[in-house]
Amino acid sequence: MKDIIWLIRKIIRVTFRKKGNILLYFGGPLIGILIAFLAYGGSDQQTLKVGIINQDSAQIAGDTVHFLEHLENVEVVKINESTLKDQIATGKLDCAIILGQKFSESIENGIPDHIQLVSIKGAEVTSFVKSYLYQYLDNITALKRAANGDPEVYQKMYDRFQQANFKLQVETLQDTSKGKNMTIMTIGFLLMIMLISAGNFAEIIMKEKENRTYFRLISTPINVRKYVLANIAVSMMVMVVQVLLTLLMAMKVFHIEMNVSFWQMAVLLTLFALVSAGLSLMVVSFASSSRAAGALHILITIPSCLLAGCFWPFDLMPKVVQRIAQFMPQHWVLETINQLQLGYSFGSLYLNLMILLAFAAVFFLFSVYKFGRNNDVRNFA
Amino acid sequence: MKVLEVKNLTKKFDGFIAVDNISLSINEGEIFGLLGPNGAGKSTTINLIAGLLRSSEGEIKILGKNNMKHSRYTKMNIGIVPQDLAIYEDLTAFENVKFFAGLYGLRGTELTDRVQEALEFVGLLDMQRAYPKNFSGGMKRRLNIACAIAHRPKLIIMDEPTVGIDPHSRNYILQSIHKLNEMGCTIIYTSHYMEEVEEICTRISIMDHGKVIAEGTKEQLIAIITNTKDIWIEVKSVEQIDIEKIKEINGVKTVSLDKNVIKINSEIGINNLNNILLYLMNQKVEIGSLEEREPNLETVFLTLTGRNLRD
Repeated sequence: MKDIIWLIRKIIRVTFRKKGNILLYFGGPLIGILIAFLAYGGSDQQTLKVGIINQDSAQIAGDTVHFLEHLENVEVVKINESTLKDQIATGKLDCAIILGQKFSESIENGIPDHIQLVSIKGAEVTSFVKSYLYQYLDNITALKRAANGDPEVYQKMYDRFQQANFKLQVETLQDTSKGKNMTIMTIGFLLMIMLISAGNFAEIIMKEKENRTYFRLISTPINVRKYVLANIAVSMMVMVVQVLLTLLMAMKVFHIEMNVSFWQMAVLLTLFALVSAGLSLMVVSFASSSRAAGALHILITIPSCLLAGCFWPFDLMPKVVQRIAQFMPQHWVLETINQLQLGYSFGSLYLNLMILLAFAAVFFLFSVYKFGRNNDVRNFA
Repeated sequence: MKVLEVKNLTKKFDGFIAVDNISLSINEGEIFGLLGPNGAGKSTTINLIAGLLRSSEGEIKILGKNNMKHSRYTKMNIGIVPQDLAIYEDLTAFENVKFFAGLYGLRGTELTDRVQEALEFVGLLDMQRAYPKNFSGGMKRRLNIACAIAHRPKLIIMDEPTVGIDPHSRNYILQSIHKLNEMGCTIIYTSHYMEEVEEICTRISIMDHGKVIAEGTKEQLIAIITNTKDIWIEVKSVEQIDIEKIKEINGVKTVSLDKNVIKINSEIGINNLNNILLYLMNQKVEIGSLEEREPNLETVFLTLTGRNLRD
């Protein structure tokens, strides 16, 4: 054990004597948080800018505009037809509503028409306005039908409807989708950095073989097993610090609502650290040089992170890719987080955890097999 | 006391025999030279002795113990100075020696004292806080040696420790080897420089094609070829010379060219000097000087292997 600690101290000293490595290993994971924040952080409480062109001078059209003006998070701007296209195209307006000359008349006839909604931002923006507006128009149309064609009764009912003093209690439900998306992006980026870090540490073995210090080392009482174990230990230590640092920063500093407890996340990601260490060791055991190991590692890390859905929601990916993703350990980490966010207990997700353990076991077994057959000093002359 | 015993050692790599049934025995206090051209099997033998490779057949005993069964014990008593520098550029000279010495279990003040002792021994104590990237080739070689001796091994294996360094550092290293030997260390020394081996080794083994082809003191090895003499002829140009033609002259055993010097090893008792000179005159070769020399290790090596050591 003393030998291993001695090796660990040396690896840490040599690695972190380069200040750039401190930035890479401990600054890198935080970039994921920043990207997530940039992507999702500013989407709260947005005000919708709606342009209005009212070509109808009747009361119903005026009241409709008045109704829109009183909606929460909606800013109504009166515009004219000549500037409509320009304002929509440049994004100054999210959408525009054109009330035609016969708009009020169509309502009174019970068949709402002569209303046009213009937008280039799609349903995400227009559905909110559409829903409120159509409900309002449906109510007025219903009054017309209820008045049975009697203009006096309709007017009375309409006036009362406009002056009605409803008591409205507003309950705001927490929108967890933003937190979930930010969690996926933060953790997805962290998984990639962990894989890269583990790869860098495993590459030290190749570099030491190339510069012959490896053979000098194993000519001392240190054996190959202890040497590799020390390397894995440092790799694991760095990755665990990355995990704790990222979780602390995300939860305590950036206040990202992960909806999963700190320790559940820490345990899950530590399990992935084991997978990363195993994978990088396997890559090194197969590679013929440190350059080949580096290239192979990048070739595995980046595509597997993309396929596993580290940078975008899993549901957005095509079905075929979703099936392929199941062969990536990153997917099982993200899937477990998703399940935990849905309220499943940590214990009930033991199968996911077993799958991750199986990945680590397979990688380590392959490495042991290959290392046992690759201890030929001639390869590195 | 025998520090190293090698019995019937063989190492095969996928059918290729790198070391072929060799036996060696090295006594305490010897400086044992291992000579051989590239590919002779010297490095493989050293790797086998150091426990870096497992032998295909045979046995190696260090201080009476099998080097595979008692690898920790045997490794604790060996210090290896590898041919390629095995030092960390990102650690200072002090940290390098400290790290390697620590792998042999040294800790605390004992470790610090031994590190400083080793650095002082190789003349780098003043440079202990400097990084090897700022060192000359000779200084790096000396640091390489310091890393191997700080734990005070009984057997030191030096694989070409003077390759590519300046004469001053070479002399320093050769003197250090003498000093280590006087301090009780047994040394195995390999080199391409015949004069170094002649100067420092008490016993020499010559390897070729994985086999030990001769072994003994310098005098014993030269005695193998007492029936020959060396003739060195310095010429102005060598273009017209056909070595094979000289070899055909009666009594000539080996011929080699070293720049403008034709080195001929010839049997004693056969007067063939006239024929050699006649051949050179016929070829219109201008002769600068002619010297008849006593055979040395290089002659022995050439006679036994048919090659120069640096071929």
